[in-house]
Amino acid sequence: MDVGQMQRQWLDYTRSLFIEGFLDNQFLQLQQLQDENNPEFVVEVVSLFFEDSERILKDLTFALDQQGVDFKKVDAHVHQLKGSSSSVGAQRVKNACIAFRNFCEEQNVEACLRCLQQVKQEYCLVKNKLETLFRLEQQIVAAGGSIPMMELSF
Amino acid sequence: MATTKFRHVFGRLWGFATSCKKSSSSNPIGTRILQRDVEKEEFQFASTLCLSSYYSVFVVRLAIMVMLAILIGLLTILTWHFTKIYTTKSLNSLAYDLRYELLQRPILRMWNILNSTSEITIAQVKLSQYVIRSHGNLTTQEDQVEMYEAMRAVTWALFASRKALNSITVKYNNGFVQAFHRDIKDNNTFYIYSDLDNYSIGASGYNNSELNYSSLSSQESSWNDNDNKSTVWYRQPLDPVTGERIGKPMQIAPEDSIHIAGLSQVPDGVASWRVAVSKFTDSPLLSAALPVWDSSNKSIVAVVGVTTALYSVGQLMKELVELHSGHMYLTSLEGYLLATSTDAPLLDNSTQPPKLKMAVDCENEVIRLGAEYLRRSSGNKFPPSHEVHVANVRLGHDRYYIDSFFLNLKRLPLVGVIIIPRKHILGQVDERAFKTLVILISASMCIIVIGWVCILILTNGVSKEMKLRAELISQLEARRKAEASSNYKSQFLANMSHELRTPMAAIIGLLDILMSDDCLTNEQCATVTQIRKCSTALLRLLNNILDISKVESGKLVLEDAEFDLGRELEGLVDMFSVQCINHSVETVLDLSDDMPKLVRGDSARVVQIFANLINNSIKFTPSGHVILRGWFENPNPCSDSANFLMEEKKLQCAQKTRAKQYENHAKRTSERDKKAVLWFEVDDTGCGIDPSKWDSVFESFEQADPSTTRLHGGTGLGLCIVRSLVNKMGGEIKVVKKEGPGTLMQLYLRLDTAGDDTEQHCLVDIANNGLVVLLALHGNIGRSITSKWLQQNGVFTMEASEWNGLTQILRELFHTRSSSGTNNGFDVHYPIPESLKSRLLSIQEIRHPVFVIAVDIGLLDLSTDIWKEQLNFLHRYLGLAKFIWVLNHDTSNTIKLELRRKGYMMTVSKPLYKAKIVHILEEVIKERNHEMQKKNMDELHVHESDYTHCDAASSDDSDISESAPCNPVSSTEKFEQFDLLSRYRINNCLIGLTDEHSEVKTPRKEDSYQNNHNSPKSLSAEQAYFPREAHQGEDSESRGKEEHRIIRGLGRPANGKKSLEGLRILLAEDTPVIQRVATIMLEKMGASVVAVGDGQQAVDALNDMLGVEDFRRDSNLNERNTRSSSPQTEILSFPSYDLVLMDCQMPKMDGYEATKAIRKSEVGSGVHIPIVALTAHAMSCDEAKCLEVGMDAYLTKPIDFKLMESTILSLTRKTTS
Repeated sequence: MDVGQMQRQWLDYTRSLFIEGFLDNQFLQLQQLQDENNPEFVVEVVSLFFEDSERILKDLTFALDQQGVDFKKVDAHVHQLKGSSSSVGAQRVKNACIAFRNFCEEQNVEACLRCLQQVKQEYCLVKNKLETLFRLEQQIVAAGGSIPMMELSF
Repeated sequence: MATTKFRHVFGRLWGFATSCKKSSSSNPIGTRILQRDVEKEEFQFASTLCLSSYYSVFVVRLAIMVMLAILIGLLTILTWHFTKIYTTKSLNSLAYDLRYELLQRPILRMWNILNSTSEITIAQVKLSQYVIRSHGNLTTQEDQVEMYEAMRAVTWALFASRKALNSITVKYNNGFVQAFHRDIKDNNTFYIYSDLDNYSIGASGYNNSELNYSSLSSQESSWNDNDNKSTVWYRQPLDPVTGERIGKPMQIAPEDSIHIAGLSQVPDGVASWRVAVSKFTDSPLLSAALPVWDSSNKSIVAVVGVTTALYSVGQLMKELVELHSGHMYLTSLEGYLLATSTDAPLLDNSTQPPKLKMAVDCENEVIRLGAEYLRRSSGNKFPPSHEVHVANVRLGHDRYYIDSFFLNLKRLPLVGVIIIPRKHILGQVDERAFKTLVILISASMCIIVIGWVCILILTNGVSKEMKLRAELISQLEARRKAEASSNYKSQFLANMSHELRTPMAAIIGLLDILMSDDCLTNEQCATVTQIRKCSTALLRLLNNILDISKVESGKLVLEDAEFDLGRELEGLVDMFSVQCINHSVETVLDLSDDMPKLVRGDSARVVQIFANLINNSIKFTPSGHVILRGWFENPNPCSDSANFLMEEKKLQCAQKTRAKQYENHAKRTSERDKKAVLWFEVDDTGCGIDPSKWDSVFESFEQADPSTTRLHGGTGLGLCIVRSLVNKMGGEIKVVKKEGPGTLMQLYLRLDTAGDDTEQHCLVDIANNGLVVLLALHGNIGRSITSKWLQQNGVFTMEASEWNGLTQILRELFHTRSSSGTNNGFDVHYPIPESLKSRLLSIQEIRHPVFVIAVDIGLLDLSTDIWKEQLNFLHRYLGLAKFIWVLNHDTSNTIKLELRRKGYMMTVSKPLYKAKIVHILEEVIKERNHEMQKKNMDELHVHESDYTHCDAASSDDSDISESAPCNPVSSTEKFEQFDLLSRYRINNCLIGLTDEHSEVKTPRKEDSYQNNHNSPKSLSAEQAYFPREAHQGEDSESRGKEEHRIIRGLGRPANGKKSLEGLRILLAEDTPVIQRVATIMLEKMGASVVAVGDGQQAVDALNDMLGVEDFRRDSNLNERNTRSSSPQTEILSFPSYDLVLMDCQMPKMDGYEATKAIRKSEVGSGVHIPIVALTAHAMSCDEAKCLEVGMDAYLTKPIDFKLMESTILSLTRKTTS
């Protein structure tokens, strides 16, 4: 594939991610932080985010499966997830987390479970999207191109 | 009995009263309960409280009433008792005495009668014995007659002496009867005697019988038998006084008129008593009989009988009863009536002979009833000494006293009964008692009622107070609720503003990205810059929404920082001018030169004040102008007032006098506080405000004309906030009268002035350079103000408001100087006004004048293509004068391009205010200086010497974008290049410390610049960066000059110093993602970072620096750090950290706890490590919590790059300095 075409595709894809609200400004900041010293910074952080999130989601699933749900613990987990997702810029996960926390305060188990599903779904979505994005980047890099600067004109 | 009745009545009254009370009070209770049901949930506590207090009041009231009632009742009863009972008792005893006394008298009379009767009888007997004995043997008839005569005389004497006697009879044993009889009815006295002739024979018989007297009974029987049959009786009336016979004797039947006591009545020879009944009198008679013995005392010679009528007793009784009402009667032991106080007959005439009546058969009803009562009460038989005293007997319809007395006479026991109506004795008493009772009861009732009313009134006050208190409680509750809801509102606003801020942040971020794009044109860049500015303003506005609640609750705390007032206001006017252009409203900033440049205060609030005011003015001004004037009121006005007056425009004269009124007051306060009083006016030509609303427009939600809301929108909060803020800054604001249409708001602020020493030197430069400025501007007000100001500063100005005026001036100006102009289509001759002429003349006197022509793009005819020709016309003067194009924001690109193509370098966007003019003029002067020096000196030298100090003058670089030349041929363009380069460097220096973005990009750009130094393409690429950098430079500039001086220096402009170079930062963050991001961010800024996973580790790391490495080994996450962060090795050599970034929510030990622990360990050591909180909670309460536990600052996630940087810098600088 032509490098230029791939770059365009990458741009379109990134733009769509922003438009659809999967990512937000924070992701841009991450990208800006990436430089010669840390060429893989975004990927590193995002994969950290994946690891962390999967652990938290597992913990959450476990915590909500218990007989007496420890909402404090759940809340702490969700809070953590919210922090990391907002740091990565995974906006939709963050928003789902906010809703989740509200139900946590209400101690509403059913809604919490529903929210957990939603968070999981959002997380999977953003994970897929980001992985696709990174794959595109890898392809571009492999093809000898450079990652274009984000040109966000929406 | 009366008391019980009274009690009964009282009880009933009491019951009625209480039931009344209950019924009256049950209603409020009912409503109360109803209310409570309604408000149960919210006000349970309050309502139960007030309900219980209500009940307690009710109970207390009731108790007081009951006590009062009891007290008064007792008093009443006691009073009544003492008045009634004692009176009654004493009266009763008196009455008893009276009755006793009353009855005693007839009884005594009776006694007397009995006694006298017996005495007379005895006397008669004694006399008779004497007479009979003195006559001895009655042998002859004559003797006998003589003896009878003597007897008669003696008997008469006795009879006459006793008027009360009814009769005296003497019956001789021979059957002869002598009797005196007094008829009481006719008051006649009769002498009754039997025929003497029949007794001559009988004498012998008498003797015989005298002899045979041994058996008295037989003798007696013979007497009686003989007497009744054979004797003839005569009755002869007598003179009652003398006893003379006055009539003929009449023969009457024996025993006809009177009862003659015979032998049968003296069976045992002693005096006998009996009550007899005569058929001639209707009253009973008391008769006594006594025998007369002969001298030998062996035989009875005669029997003497004395009869006394009981009539006189009855008479006495009558008299007594007439005196004291009532009835009396005497009865014998058997119950026969002897005497009564009435006229009722005592004898029963129905039988023959008449008999005595029983008392119970008496015709008088009272007596009969009394007798019946007595018989009932004591049976038929009176015991001998039985006496009855009854006080209250009901007989018929009245009440009576009945008293009976027993008179025990020998052979004739008597019973006296007195019946006295109770009314007679106790009538008055009873009546009085009744009246007293009634009065007492009514009085006490009145007292009770009055007392109750008083109590009610008194307790009503209390209960009213209770009610008020309850109301107060509920109102407090309501207030609390209202406050809570207002709290919710502000909470909501806070949340909303948070939600709004996020997209705004995105917009601003994206704009930043856009601005950093290489391929933007200049105009696009300017537009984006404007958008960026507006977005910032919007963001600021959003933040201000939070402040509204703050201002209103009075919790607003003003910052106290130094800021450039002029620049803030210029920025504000810039911002609003964009809006104004659409309105064809001119926004003019007119600040007097003596305004202090730097003041201390809250810049954001000051800007907010003017933003609101200008916004307001613009909203209501469809056309015309909005002027923001400002001047400084010097504490000693004498020195400056002249100057001041000159600057003031004429229309301000009126206000001036008003302002003077404040002067003294302001002077005093400002001297005391060492504060400057800054006066401002916002003057518009809008629809104005009705004078009646001048005060009320500053109230919340108040708009002068509600109908405009639909047109202009707005909440009516703006002016309210303004006033609060102005007051907070020690100033006042009000609407003042204005000539002409529109509104004039006048306010003054009291702000600390900073030292203003060196800011005037630029003006001096302008003044002495022989500048001639031609202002060809559209807006009249702005132009005249600018012109006046320039003239004051020694700059020659000319004005033109339209194209024709401009051309005329130009022609005059240049054609007269170098008459080498060519005619073209615009060269139309107009008559030159005299004033202009004189000006032109004076201009000609200036040596080496530098002409600066500021042309409003609006002067050109943009609607057609004429403007190109107009440009061509002006182009002829390019060499003669410096053109400054004043552009609108919406000036189209083609025009800009054309201008650039023609070589007009200096453009400035509207509005034109002093700082811009100063800047332009400075540029012009510099340019001229360059031109002059260029002839003599090396270019580079010029550049080095000239540009090192020019940065201070640049006020808003973004608006003055100097275009780069398209073809790098001309010498001016070379200058431009140098200019750009120098500017770039300066900006770079300015930014260097604070702006990471530019920091990141600068090296690359710088390199590329150096590499492609001669390539115009890269130059244009450079330009794209200017606005942005300039903008950031603006931000950083306000942070103080000191900073700039430190790093200013041309030695290392390329690498720049990283802002956080050399700082050691401990990052405590559990989320790996954030940890990583923050680490990279901090390292980018040049800091060295140690990351730990929780609070405990952070505390340990701080407490024991040697253990840092162990932690790092332990922590998997930190190993990554070790890999990636280069300054790791250095950390060990640094024994301490400069700053801690602390996440608030962490496992094991959260940020709050960790901070507390750290602060605790610091106690006594004098060390204070700055701790910055990192939290995803964005509410202010979290901030408060953070600061409470000892943190120094507060950052929200996601981490904002710039904010983090500035925060860290401010903290570390604080600690190091």
